[in-house]
Amino acid sequence: MSSLTIYQKEAWYDLISVWRTPGFVLPALAFPVVFYLFFGVLFSPAGSNSHAAYMLVTYSCFGIMGPAMFNFAMNIASDRAQGWLTLKRLSPMPVSAYLLAKMVTSLAFAMLIILMLFSVAAIFGDVRLEQGQWLGLALLLLAGTVPFALIGLLLGLTLSDKAAPGVVNLLYLPMAFLSGLWLPIHLLPQFLQQLAWMWPSYHLSQLGLKLLAMDQGQPVLLHLTILLLTTALLTGLCLLIFRRYTGAK
Amino acid sequence: MSKLQSPLTVTALSKRFADVTVLAGVDLTLAAGEVLCILGPNGAGKTTLISAILGLVAADSGEVKLLGQTQHGTSRSKVLRQQCGVMMQIGSLSANLTVAEQCDLFSSYYQNGYRASELVSLAGLDAHAKVRFGNLSGGQKQRLLFALALTGKPKLVFLDEPTLGMDVEARRNLWQQIRQLKQQGVAVVLTTHYLEEAEQLADRIMVLHQGQFIANGSPQQLKALTQYKVVQCCCSLTDAELQALPGVLQLSRQQGLVTLHSSQAEHTVKALFNQDPAISQLEVKPVALEQAFLQLTAPTAEQTSTNKEQAA
Repeated sequence: MSSLTIYQKEAWYDLISVWRTPGFVLPALAFPVVFYLFFGVLFSPAGSNSHAAYMLVTYSCFGIMGPAMFNFAMNIASDRAQGWLTLKRLSPMPVSAYLLAKMVTSLAFAMLIILMLFSVAAIFGDVRLEQGQWLGLALLLLAGTVPFALIGLLLGLTLSDKAAPGVVNLLYLPMAFLSGLWLPIHLLPQFLQQLAWMWPSYHLSQLGLKLLAMDQGQPVLLHLTILLLTTALLTGLCLLIFRRYTGAK
Repeated sequence: MSKLQSPLTVTALSKRFADVTVLAGVDLTLAAGEVLCILGPNGAGKTTLISAILGLVAADSGEVKLLGQTQHGTSRSKVLRQQCGVMMQIGSLSANLTVAEQCDLFSSYYQNGYRASELVSLAGLDAHAKVRFGNLSGGQKQRLLFALALTGKPKLVFLDEPTLGMDVEARRNLWQQIRQLKQQGVAVVLTTHYLEEAEQLADRIMVLHQGQFIANGSPQQLKALTQYKVVQCCCSLTDAELQALPGVLQLSRQQGLVTLHSSQAEHTVKALFNQDPAISQLEVKPVALEQAFLQLTAPTAEQTSTNKEQAA
């Protein structure tokens, strides 16, 4: 069989395997939608759809981060614990097929979450954007999935299957809050605002808000540089640990 | 691959974890088409040995040659990944995929391997093809893992404790499948801590103990090696006198009752009567094979060295 088939099958089966885990799918899809409905749409100041638009960007960031981190961290940790990854490593399957499959699954979930949130925003939040803004925002969010998937990969390679979910939450929820994804960043205390540049999720959301001209006014280049640097750093770390893991266990 | 070439040679393989020596210079040569059982109690180093051969663990020193090709550390060559089949002790598949899906996925990895439907049949799970892995019984899971190990029609198969947790019938079925592999000329390396399993399947048994092979021979040879009897009685002889009796390997006392392990029970008993006609409560019992095997791996230095000499 061609190796294209391996990549396709690996991705397809990873996707349906994850899809059949209600404990992952339901929170991954429901949380961002429910949160956005509450804080973005229902609690919107009367007559203002700019609030709903602002929160669409931040809750979309929140929505795509979670599945990307959880999917990688938990599945890789459990594949390691159960010996499934060992069997695959002893087969002719290219390791890249395994990692790409997980990436495809994360992107598929991100896409689904983006579509759901965009629909909620347009239908219930009365958010009206130009076609280019919708599209730009969707593409930005998809690309923005990558660094969070890498964080998940890093955790999945280093933590046990039991520790992984807890640690992801410990990172995910504070990071979302401190980046201004739940409450707009300008409502946070001053010192937290000053620390927000530390979080990749802050830069992703600012890039999204820039598309709507609602950002805090820092240059695009700053956000892009930090996101790309983070991604590069994470990639290097993942490669290093993946090699060490392959050698050590 | 020529008929004469050894599918697997291991030379002076060593591995330490922190302060513990898990493999202490292990040598092993597998003959073409041979079924080799590596027997040893838990913690003997069986899984580490297999893992080091397969490049899952980096050995500290030594050489591994698989199907004629020297392996380098944990790089896991193409030969290894395409022509060897592996069933590891901790083997679990994604619980959410069905038998048919797992087989489809695994068969896509190999160029000339079994097709998915053939694998399902090989595992004997045609009636369960649509059952998710998580819902299979323990024996069914092992059967599927065994079938997946054969996906690439390997020339050499590694089975690490394949019947762990199986019931008697499932175990016998797997034994049958391993015999079929042998008939097809596939070489098999099997680890187990069941002596019976080794006896049933192996052309050769090697006993691993504390990271070293302490015995190597056919099942018959090893059985003879461990065929001694237990002699119990009450008598007035001293320890030194008892030890000097013919055939006595080991001696213990419990409240006047003497227990001797003897390789020549008849001679031992005869000499006992000669030296102390007043002995009482005499009993001669065979040692169960499992127990004999434990004896073989018991940490008595003298015993170990004797076995080594006999086995060599």
